[in-house]
Amino acid sequence: MNQQNSATNDPTAALSGQAVTTAPTEAPDAPMRQDPAHTEHPHAETITEDALGGKTMIHIEDLSFSYDNGKTNTLQNISLDIPEKQVTAFIGPSGCGKSTLIRCLNRMNDLVETSCITNGKIKIMGQDINARDVSPIELRKQVGMVFQKYNPFPKSIYDNVAYGLRIQGIKKKSSLDEAVERSLHGAALWDEVKDRLKDSALGLSGGQQQRLCIARTIAVQPKVILMDEPCSALDPIATAKVEELMLELRKEFTIVIVTHSMQQASRISDRTAFFYLGELIEYGSTTHIFTNPTAKQTEDYISGRFG
Amino acid sequence: MASKNNPFCKQRNSLNTKETVTRLILIVFTYSIILAAFGIFGKIIYEGAPVLWQKGWSFFTKKPQTLIVTQVEKSKGVEIPAKNFEGLLANNPNADQWLANVTEFEKPTEFITFDLLTGSRIGQGYLGELESLNPDFYVIYTERDTNALVGFQLHADKKISMIKEDFAALVASDPKILPADVTTRNIELNNYKVTVAAGDYPIGKPAHDALVPTELIFKMRQTFADDEPDKINQTIIPEEQTITVSADLYFTAFDEEERGTLPLKAEEEVPYTQVFHDFLLTGGNHVTTPAALAVFEKYGAQHLHNPQKGAIVINEDITGLKVPKTFWQTLTLSNPGLKTANQSTTINKTPFIRFDITKDAEILLDTEDRESIATANEATGKFITTSEETHSYSGGGVVGPIVGTGLLVIICMMVALFTGIAASIFLNEYARAGTFVKTIRLAMLNLAGVPSIVFGLFGLGLFVILAPCVTSTPKASSTLMVPLVKLGSEPELRMIEQQQIYVAGKSDLSSSELSTVATAEGSRLIYDGWIWLSLQGWGTSILAGGFTLAMMVLPVIITSCEESLRAVPMGFREASLALGATKWQSIRTAVLPYAFPGILTASVLGITRVAGETAPIMFTAAVAEKSELPWEGLKSTGFDKFLDFLQSSAQALPYHIYTVAGRIPQSEYTQPMQYGSVLVFMLIVMSFAAISIWLRVRVRNKIKW
Repeated sequence: MNQQNSATNDPTAALSGQAVTTAPTEAPDAPMRQDPAHTEHPHAETITEDALGGKTMIHIEDLSFSYDNGKTNTLQNISLDIPEKQVTAFIGPSGCGKSTLIRCLNRMNDLVETSCITNGKIKIMGQDINARDVSPIELRKQVGMVFQKYNPFPKSIYDNVAYGLRIQGIKKKSSLDEAVERSLHGAALWDEVKDRLKDSALGLSGGQQQRLCIARTIAVQPKVILMDEPCSALDPIATAKVEELMLELRKEFTIVIVTHSMQQASRISDRTAFFYLGELIEYGSTTHIFTNPTAKQTEDYISGRFG
Repeated sequence: MASKNNPFCKQRNSLNTKETVTRLILIVFTYSIILAAFGIFGKIIYEGAPVLWQKGWSFFTKKPQTLIVTQVEKSKGVEIPAKNFEGLLANNPNADQWLANVTEFEKPTEFITFDLLTGSRIGQGYLGELESLNPDFYVIYTERDTNALVGFQLHADKKISMIKEDFAALVASDPKILPADVTTRNIELNNYKVTVAAGDYPIGKPAHDALVPTELIFKMRQTFADDEPDKINQTIIPEEQTITVSADLYFTAFDEEERGTLPLKAEEEVPYTQVFHDFLLTGGNHVTTPAALAVFEKYGAQHLHNPQKGAIVINEDITGLKVPKTFWQTLTLSNPGLKTANQSTTINKTPFIRFDITKDAEILLDTEDRESIATANEATGKFITTSEETHSYSGGGVVGPIVGTGLLVIICMMVALFTGIAASIFLNEYARAGTFVKTIRLAMLNLAGVPSIVFGLFGLGLFVILAPCVTSTPKASSTLMVPLVKLGSEPELRMIEQQQIYVAGKSDLSSSELSTVATAEGSRLIYDGWIWLSLQGWGTSILAGGFTLAMMVLPVIITSCEESLRAVPMGFREASLALGATKWQSIRTAVLPYAFPGILTASVLGITRVAGETAPIMFTAAVAEKSELPWEGLKSTGFDKFLDFLQSSAQALPYHIYTVAGRIPQSEYTQPMQYGSVLVFMLIVMSFAAISIWLRVRVRNKIKW
């Protein structure tokens, strides 16, 4: 957090050459403030969108966001369009704001009292989600979220998946049964748990629990699924299963994933956005970002020179 | 030397000594705690366990018993109802030393079953007697008949000398009852004209009581307590006074031979003539008018009527009343207005025990057994007592206090948990951190630090005296009355009489004027057709006590509820919200269930705390002596009954221990019961603690993450 705050206090330092070679914490001390990369601000990278096709699902326009009532901006002038039924990955070093941005997309940041959007807007399916007449409850039904640490409720597997439907007031056993089965199939978990639906979800392995959380999310039929580092607490085999699942899910859902693993981003995402110290550095098709990045920081980051 | 080869050799120096001494001191202090604990527990168990062992379950299931220590003479053929014989054996473990020839037999008692018809006229006392013999029978009468004829008994022929005024009243009311020969005589009597000099005199209670209604002006330095009839207190006569008093009063208050009477400066006899009418009234039953009965009452007529208010008119048919034949005779003879039907006689055989008392002995009897044995042997005179001593609560029995404490805890926890959980949810989940929340937390900390006796006084002021009630019959002593709607239904005559309701007419009196008038009339309640919101308090009641205890335990509950809410991972809330739950939905379904074990523990801890409190309930709920459980003896029905139940006082265990140990006269009979009660109390509190641990483990095993 400290790093993030100090960094966002001085956004110009973010793009300094010094930061490329040293740890990000030292970025504010960088003496070189006039960097040529700054002048070529990478917002323009969205031009590849049309080439990849797909309708825009989420439209973020010049978004600035603050956790402390606008004193310091955690996100700075972010603009990007996320297309429908594709996987979009947010990468970047810790504290760069990618989790903050994903939590803006279903207004989970409302939970932080002092948070506010200081500039710009987010449109999902053409609707400004921070408009007065938008209910965050309805928004979250359409924009589901899977968290970094898998967090199934200490209930049975069945109850976990049925949770979202039950709070929407669906009580009919048959429709719940059907939705649970469909969601567990969707999350590729059905075969593993079909005989123990009444058992506690906490008895599952880590990877199964995370897939259960995904099943819980897709049970309410959202349009968008946000995944905040869904595999960071999982071993490689479980990760592989979740990744496989994501590729399956992108046929139906728009997926936004935050990840620390560049391999993961390159494996599963159609598009990749690189963030650094609260700014969007580069956004484009995954192949483009990983093979031929425009910005120097992107190149440094994906080649493992920092971060 | 070995020490030269050993670089770490032990050394004796002052530091080592200091170390040893310090350790010793620490050990002594620690062990003294254990010693104290052993001392307290050991003493209570050592003294209390034999009591519980001897009394068995009856100690838990009986109401607090008062034992009468009776010295009885050697006697044969003493009779006692079988159920009381059990009590006698239970209270006298050494009975085999004097008990012999125990034989069972059945004693037939004749009972009359009858129906009481509408329109019957019955005397107030007879109705009360009927109601106590038939527990389900309760008449809400609406009318009295002041002209109904009444009956009374004279045990034998009685020569009556009646003063002129009474005789005149009798002649006016019922001349037929007078026998033919009435003689009249004049008697010269004296009044006394006495002069008391100013000064400071010792005066006894009888003289004081006699002088209060007279014109004499005097002032006591100290008032008399009711239980000290022999006490002498100083009185001040401010100035010299002369009054005229009757002979009775003269001999009570001014007789110089008596102790505690006033010395006289001067006295003078004032002769006057009193006319007496002498006649003979034959023994047996007489029927007369209420006014005449009021006169005969002064001359020894036996009856249970209330001649001033008149007979009660029965307003519904009541079937299946059952009374002993002896009472039936009195009832029918004394109430000429009684209409009955379907009389039938049944003979009940009550099991009795007959036994011999082989030597003069000391027998412990509880009040009920004492009464039964006295009645059973009244005719034969076989049960001869030489002396009796009453020892309050020496018979054990704690069901009343246990029930009272239980009810207080239930009410308290219902109030405290609702308020506490609501407050902790708001503080932990909804409220934004800021001055407001800080102020609330500060207030809570302060509340936790308030001494419990202050809570007691607070409860007395707020819940007992000031709390709001919605009622059609507010108390005359109400602090503030606000009329709500005019749809009260007038209380029945019986309610008006029993609860001393002042029924206002159509006058337009303000509420304060109503209060004044009602108080002046000696009424407790007011009725004028309106429903009032009255700040009159809930009285000394389990409701007031429960609320007071709730106030006291709230900080504990809120703090621990907040802690258990905080212990629920943020992830559950986020996951729930991300699935489209509203804030309350996610709290209800994804937070509260997992905070439940903590809340449960908090509430059980709260229970152990409130169950042991004495100070907050001694002003608000607890009474030292109550023979009925809170729900017993309530005559109202439905929801009113529930309200009456909530507004009834109760005994409570800690207060009962205080009463037994400190407020009643101590004797070797009462002392074991203190230990018994304390042991029971400790067992209850400890079992609560055990339950809390068990529940916590159980629920925690079920719900964990």
